[in-house]
Amino acid sequence: MTIDQWHAALREVTGVTGVLGALIVSAEDGLVVAETAMEELATADVAALAAALVMRVARCTSAMDAGLPQTAYLVGDRGALLAVAGPAPLWLVAVARNDGELGRLRLLMRDFADVLR
Amino acid sequence: MRVLEPWVAEPLAEFLRESSARLTLVMTSAGQVIAQHGFTRSVDVMSAAALGAGILATTDELARTIDEPAGFGAVVHQGERQGVWLSAFDTPRGRWIGLVVFGQESSIGLVRLFFARLAAQIQAAAPPLAPVRDVLAEGFERELDNSLRSLFGSR
Repeated sequence: MTIDQWHAALREVTGVTGVLGALIVSAEDGLVVAETAMEELATADVAALAAALVMRVARCTSAMDAGLPQTAYLVGDRGALLAVAGPAPLWLVAVARNDGELGRLRLLMRDFADVLR
Repeated sequence: MRVLEPWVAEPLAEFLRESSARLTLVMTSAGQVIAQHGFTRSVDVMSAAALGAGILATTDELARTIDEPAGFGAVVHQGERQGVWLSAFDTPRGRWIGLVVFGQESSIGLVRLFFARLAAQIQAAAPPLAPVRDVLAEGFERELDNSLRSLFGSR
């Protein structure tokens, strides 16, 4: 996939109702590789924390002898974070409100992660 | 962790906890050390402080050369097992520099995120600058000893 195609994919994810932003994050260094997000979303902060989260999840699944994690799904009182593994070390991350179309978001992100790989 | 200015201790402790940094130095832009964590030998601290201040001075000059008036926010060197983050920030006490060494348990993104918080907390916590006192020859050595003791414990 080219950078333009990445951005097109991110725009499609951000178009799902309730999604505040979508990013491609490098899990190794916690930096944003590409992003499409609303202004109020601190994407650099989300990238750093999401990368730390998936690295810890990877350590956890490794300790469980469950292989590499493919998705991480975190739901809070007001919002949710969905991360799907792309080609290492990239992860596709989306942040959404709880009242958004989270089911559709999950399916869409899984499709994009497959294409990214 | 050793600090010369007590009000730096709390923000620095929070930064170390959140970022999982291995080594940290907070210093003035002249290379005078304000706080350090993780270093065991004074000679290492002095070398790191001098080299860090030198690197930032060099990049500031490079920024001027390429007409980047705001300068560079940070300088990062990424090694195979460890990385170094260098960044300057303004405080009521002048321009300070942070030098952070981090390993695979952390990341550039995490250091960037929590370093910004550290800088903001230091800016907010800094007491007003006391009037400059004349340093007399007989007091200079005592003050230097006190500073070194604060940073490295008993000598």
